[in-house]
Amino acid sequence: MTALAERGRIDGAVARKPARSQLIGERWPTWGSVFIGYFVLAIIYFPILWLMILSISAEPLTGFPGDWTLRWYDDMLYGTGQREGEAYAVAGRVMEPLLLSLKIAAITAALCIVASLVVGPILPRVRFRGPMLLGFLMPLMVPGIVASVSLFLFYRLGLHLKMGEWSLGLAHFIWAFPFALLAMLVVSSRFDERLLDAAADLGASRWERFWQIQVPILKPGIFAAGFFGFLLSFNELPFSIFMRAGDITLPIYLWIQSGAHNSSVPLIFALSTLITIASIVLTFIAIRVAFGEPRAAKLKAKKA
Amino acid sequence: MPNLPAGIWSVSGFTFLWFVGIVVPLIGIVLFSFLQTKGIKVQWDLTIKAYEKLFFYGGGPLIGRTIRIAATMTVIELLLAFPFALWLAKGAKNQNLKLITFTLLTVPFFLSPVARVIVWRSVMSISGLVNTGLMDLGIVDEPVDWLIFSEFAVHLGYLGQYFPAMVWPIFLSIALIDDEYLEASKDLGASRLRTLFHVILPLSLPGIVAGVIFTFVPMLGDTVVPQQMGGGNVLMISHNVYTMIGASNFVMAAALSAIILAIMLAFQILLWAALRPVGGLNNVFASLKR
Repeated sequence: MTALAERGRIDGAVARKPARSQLIGERWPTWGSVFIGYFVLAIIYFPILWLMILSISAEPLTGFPGDWTLRWYDDMLYGTGQREGEAYAVAGRVMEPLLLSLKIAAITAALCIVASLVVGPILPRVRFRGPMLLGFLMPLMVPGIVASVSLFLFYRLGLHLKMGEWSLGLAHFIWAFPFALLAMLVVSSRFDERLLDAAADLGASRWERFWQIQVPILKPGIFAAGFFGFLLSFNELPFSIFMRAGDITLPIYLWIQSGAHNSSVPLIFALSTLITIASIVLTFIAIRVAFGEPRAAKLKAKKA
Repeated sequence: MPNLPAGIWSVSGFTFLWFVGIVVPLIGIVLFSFLQTKGIKVQWDLTIKAYEKLFFYGGGPLIGRTIRIAATMTVIELLLAFPFALWLAKGAKNQNLKLITFTLLTVPFFLSPVARVIVWRSVMSISGLVNTGLMDLGIVDEPVDWLIFSEFAVHLGYLGQYFPAMVWPIFLSIALIDDEYLEASKDLGASRLRTLFHVILPLSLPGIVAGVIFTFVPMLGDTVVPQQMGGGNVLMISHNVYTMIGASNFVMAAALSAIILAIMLAFQILLWAALRPVGGLNNVFASLKR
């Protein structure tokens, strides 16, 4: 998952010795493996594309597109509540889960940035970094539902705390932090400590060193931590299922509604489409911000 | 670390809180599975009643099925992802194609899991797109009913859901292999297969292990795919944990979780042990720095 950040580095490595890597390149293309890879990618993207197409179709539940209409979007946003005698569970109730999800995602992103800024620069330099990293990555190595139940039993039955928005935020942070930390580590483990020493020798205070040296250099890591925190929290389901009181986040909402076999499912298609488009746009912006600038600068340098 | 405003003490403090906040609950659930509850009050007598009940009510087949499906799909993902990752890392030359592929492999991580599979239900249903197509083409005479709400469907759902999680770590570990090693192997007269098995495979082992963990683990606890694609016909542990908690049967949920946790632990110790020859966990830091 540190992939985003790693990519720039690998591209760089390839760019440095083009002749050699091309030579090797000829040795490893097998059309079968390429075909399989893109075939699975097609299996990933077909349902997403089809979802979007069906969400503007009149009869989405049949799986056939056609008779284009925005009716489901209309119902979702301004739902009248009744159609053919059946009440829509979705209509008009989307805003609350959406706002809650946005709020918790923002909090999770902020927590991820602060925590990975605290841990990231120091972890590669301490003695017990192996076991500590293992501890921090624990949520990745335990199935979500098991971790979620453990947290629930510990805080609710063990400590007798009432679940609520705080526990949702905590669970999302526990889920997202390992990703944020890994992203930060990619940057921070290559950070040259001597820069800070030099700044100290020149009379910079602790905070000056932090804001003027560390933060600018660690910026890609900070950005990635916030990005991971936000989007992972925004779409998080397994941890949210137990670590909540009555709170309904957007993924919980979708999960409950999509389990129901009623006519509100077409509205789920419309809602999912909107969320998917928003997530894709955000991801693209993130990729551009993280890697677009140096790329553009490189191109400029080439032209000049 | 006098250089940083966030010194060693804040890191120690955070680490301590992290261990109390997440590692302790995970250990706690094992202890908890040997207790009894009344409402949300815990009774502190050790008993294995929860486990007896769990196996009496069909917990064995449930756990077996969950592990079987997750393991099958992990193996399939590995077989599909490794050649693709190898090509991406050492074969692909077109930078634009690579960039597009990287983006395609990244975006799914940030999409709602429900949104990613919900459409299969309409496409694969008895009167859905696939069945109609198959009948129109004359391949089948009557609709195929195992396309959805079946084990086949759960496998299909997992395939797309976890492919990127397998490709990324393997790709990274192969990309980090120095091209000189492959050159050297070739110069010394090794065939491509020999290079693959004696150079690339051992050096990409950390990536393979990470990929296996990142797919197998979440598959075991997936809440969405079994519900959306299995539709009640393919029960897996997540569903049962959910119902047990819903019925305030906390101890049984804990017992089921503890069993999964124990299996995971054994599995991961085995995998990390397999990593020892290539440097173990500290190697992660070394490879990050390279």
